[in-house]
Amino acid sequence: MSVYLVSMGTYVGFFMILALALNLQWGITGMVNFGIAGFYALGAYTSGLLTVRLGVPVGLAIPAACLAGLGLGAAVALLSVRLREDFLAIVTLGVGEMIRLIVLNEDQITEGPRGLRIEARPFGTMIAPEHYPLFYLGLVAACVLLAYAVCEAIRRAPMGRTLRAIREDDVVAAVLGKNVLLHRVRIFAVGGFFMGLAGALYAHYVQNISPEVFMPVVAMFIWMSVIVGGAGNNRGILLGAGAVMVFLEGTRFVGDFTDALDAEKMSALRIIGIGLLLIVTLRLRPRGLLPERKFNASSKLSA
Amino acid sequence: MTTLMTRRTLLASGVATLAAPSILRAQEGDIAIGSLTPNTGGGGPFGPNITASHKRVADAVNAAGGILGRQIRLYQENSETNPETAVRAADKLINVNQVLAIIGTWSSSVTLGIMPKCQSAGVIQMCTSSSSDIPVADEKGLVFNFQPLSPIWGRAIADLVLSRSIESYALMALNNDFTRSMMDGFIEKVGEDALVQKPFYYNAGQSSYRSEVTQLIEKAPEAVFIPSYVTDFTAVYKELYRQGYAGVVITTSLSTGDQFKEAVGAAGDGIIHGFPVPALNSPAYKQYLDEAGLEDTGSVQHPFGTAGRDQMSALLLAIEKAGTADRAAVARAVWDVTTGEGKTAVYNVADGLAALRAGEEINYSGASGSLEFDEEGMVLGRDFQLSEIRDGKDVVLQRLEY
Repeated sequence: MSVYLVSMGTYVGFFMILALALNLQWGITGMVNFGIAGFYALGAYTSGLLTVRLGVPVGLAIPAACLAGLGLGAAVALLSVRLREDFLAIVTLGVGEMIRLIVLNEDQITEGPRGLRIEARPFGTMIAPEHYPLFYLGLVAACVLLAYAVCEAIRRAPMGRTLRAIREDDVVAAVLGKNVLLHRVRIFAVGGFFMGLAGALYAHYVQNISPEVFMPVVAMFIWMSVIVGGAGNNRGILLGAGAVMVFLEGTRFVGDFTDALDAEKMSALRIIGIGLLLIVTLRLRPRGLLPERKFNASSKLSA
Repeated sequence: MTTLMTRRTLLASGVATLAAPSILRAQEGDIAIGSLTPNTGGGGPFGPNITASHKRVADAVNAAGGILGRQIRLYQENSETNPETAVRAADKLINVNQVLAIIGTWSSSVTLGIMPKCQSAGVIQMCTSSSSDIPVADEKGLVFNFQPLSPIWGRAIADLVLSRSIESYALMALNNDFTRSMMDGFIEKVGEDALVQKPFYYNAGQSSYRSEVTQLIEKAPEAVFIPSYVTDFTAVYKELYRQGYAGVVITTSLSTGDQFKEAVGAAGDGIIHGFPVPALNSPAYKQYLDEAGLEDTGSVQHPFGTAGRDQMSALLLAIEKAGTADRAAVARAVWDVTTGEGKTAVYNVADGLAALRAGEEINYSGASGSLEFDEEGMVLGRDFQLSEIRDGKDVVLQRLEY
């Protein structure tokens, strides 16, 4: 059981990094990103291919994956200079699918649908196999902390206020002399950086990646995490990612209790159950488990 | 008062939750086996049959007293035909349920996706996947594949159509590992010269296949071969029909099941399709039909359900043969009970157990085929069958052992 919990903790870590990045982009700055799976794939394949094809050490491949995410993030944000929010959603969805299709079809480089086997792991030779899962959990946790620290620093800084202003009304922010485009590009790039990081960590953890892993449904899980956790609140995001994983995986155990339903019906019910849990959560906590604290003028004045 | 009641109820349910895991855990001494099948997603039409077969065999053995005096505890999970989800399901099976083997994976990407975890935990895998990477990635000799690798599908289908004196072919395949390697096997047999143009791949889930189909039939080939799955083939075939292609359409039988025939109706007549079939005349297949409550119609039913029965049967017989639930020993014993000549032939797990307990050497022949494994754990000798759709029904043209 403990091995299982360690491994689920590691997956929650991937979700948390992705969700923190999405929160930065959407929760704080209001830029819709449906292409998370693409950024995730870019990170995973960049790092995986560098180690497999070029023999680059993992310690360099993972940062390279982060930079790839950063670059793509900046490029997508620039592309969408003149696009309204909803159009950005379509662009990101397209970019995400494009990356998956490139990975699928450029099989001479990526192995395409056969999937890429990755032997290299960070400190893989130095740590005994029985301790490795725990070590990896620690590594992922450290990355989550890093992502959290950066996101939280941005949120608290004066820049955070500017970002929220852009989210609420970008014209007002522009009128006040803020460089809206620069902020958007920066934030999208930082978000891309962390999504790339999550992808690289995932690739070296599961050691076998294929384009089918990076279907748009991954993006939906991350959106669920942000919405359930509370958009705009980084701590809520961590909670949300944990909650979504509990929904996804916890429902597996129901089948072990009962023989009343056969496995086929059980697996369909499980997916319905996940949906129901989400609806109930949002009905009871419409702004997420830990909503963003709104600045309230009247309370400030009376204080 | 109301609050008190609520608290009590809460407390009671809390205690119940805490106590529950003891029910969920396999009883001390049970042998845990994991079944990971595609109950939804791309493998959705096949997964439920595999799952049901696993359970039937396990239940029958449990009712007869189990293996080595121990009961079988079966844990069933849905892979959703998605490697991302399947890895986590496998994690649960391996680390929480502590299973001896994970059986029933169907898509190659799922089988390969969970392989690193299974290999490092020493868990046996039994699958019906066809990627040629499977024997390569299995470094510990723990994987058994109950389906021929996909290049063999291509070669067998080519052999079956070669007698039909078709001179020119055009090929396109769904872009996944299974269908791509099938195309390679096909080309190997018919020869590059018979192709009117370079073969190409298409992506799943497109809303239209118009340009692909136009390109495919541009040079008016006598026949087209389209290795595919049912959802994309249905869309591709509709487009072929719309463009008025008059040649022969060849594909795998996976693409032309009932779902396809309902979707295209009479327009589907004349399609030729082939795939590995259960040994229809084998006693094991007849017993399978009985167990599953099916009528013997003479045509192929439950192509993967039969493999599910064989997976569970071979595994349980191997445990009995090994005399222990040690994973490596059981893996070696799988060959002992399925492969080799001069042994007592058995067709179901009950007869097999009886023979083993009488000290005999056995060779289990399954409902999906005679079930002989090569040293890499890949199945040998399956029957392939070529059929044609006539009046909305499959008519068998030819059968061949491969």
